[in-house]
Amino acid sequence: MSTLTQPETYVAQSNHKSFWQGVIATLPLCIAVIPWGILAGSYAIEVGLTSLESQAMSAIVFAGAAQLVALGMIKAGIGLTSILLTTLLITSRHLLYSMALRKDISPLPLKWRLSLGFLLTDELFAIVTTRKTPNKQHTFDRWYALGGGLSFYVFWNIATLIGIIAGQAIPNMEEWGLDFAIASTFIALIIPMIKAKSILVCVLVSLVGSVVCSVLNIEAGLLISALIGMACGTLYAQMTGEAS
Amino acid sequence: MIWLTLGLMTLIIFISRYLFLEPKLPLKLNKSTLQFLSYAAPAVLTAIIAPLVFVKEHALYISIHNSYLVGAIIACLLAYFTRNTLLTVVVSMGIFFFIL
Repeated sequence: MSTLTQPETYVAQSNHKSFWQGVIATLPLCIAVIPWGILAGSYAIEVGLTSLESQAMSAIVFAGAAQLVALGMIKAGIGLTSILLTTLLITSRHLLYSMALRKDISPLPLKWRLSLGFLLTDELFAIVTTRKTPNKQHTFDRWYALGGGLSFYVFWNIATLIGIIAGQAIPNMEEWGLDFAIASTFIALIIPMIKAKSILVCVLVSLVGSVVCSVLNIEAGLLISALIGMACGTLYAQMTGEAS
Repeated sequence: MIWLTLGLMTLIIFISRYLFLEPKLPLKLNKSTLQFLSYAAPAVLTAIIAPLVFVKEHALYISIHNSYLVGAIIACLLAYFTRNTLLTVVVSMGIFFFIL
């Protein structure tokens, strides 16, 4: 909130700097998402989309997990309604992100809300909520978020383009294990987040929950296990009086 | 049909990202809810990748032959000891793609 109360002159001077700080903070994730973007592009070609459709998917849908799952369903000949319901389940986690960022983003002008809303990926949420500032206080900065979100968008689309080109030359790239990139990236994000026992509890419960749901083939497993994990973390913190 | 699918997916995903950023939406979040939401990132990120690492064809797959699991353990160790995102992803992916 501090940017809203700072004098305009100071804000104007620091916008540029904040933007590039956001870009730099997101760079490791941009590099890490390349294999996943290549997978999204090459798999779209494999499934039978045209180059333009494949690129548009990354440019307008801009949601890795939902894109890959939808492509798998298109390939299997599953109908539009099922694809959209599955998309809704996979993307429902973004409701949690937008709720968590409501206090920071909802007071901003419409163009900021729309842009940051469109760019609100798992990676951007992680970047803005774990930002390290010299005074160790969490402060939301719109320019920092925009820098992070835009650079991630550009890298995701370039990687998709590489995938589209490679996918036309090399068949079955989806069997290479490019999706390991997402496991590796998220682990690199999650481990430093575990700064309190309640967060460890949350992570372990979410882990076991999602694995159980996956084995039982429960479609809403992601949402169910994340919510249970969050509830367990909150309960643990409240019962042990852990400082938040 | 593809364009219709892409358009509707875009709409659903954008609404889920934007919904609670809209100030006209009447919603007050109390302290407990905000505390609950502060666990969203670790919980969701974990729930996305855990099945990829531990499950194959709807069965638990804990084995030294599961390269996703071995790669994930290496990534955890790298993340814990180095605290460096770039190093963790580059080294663990390198090991995964070229060795495992």
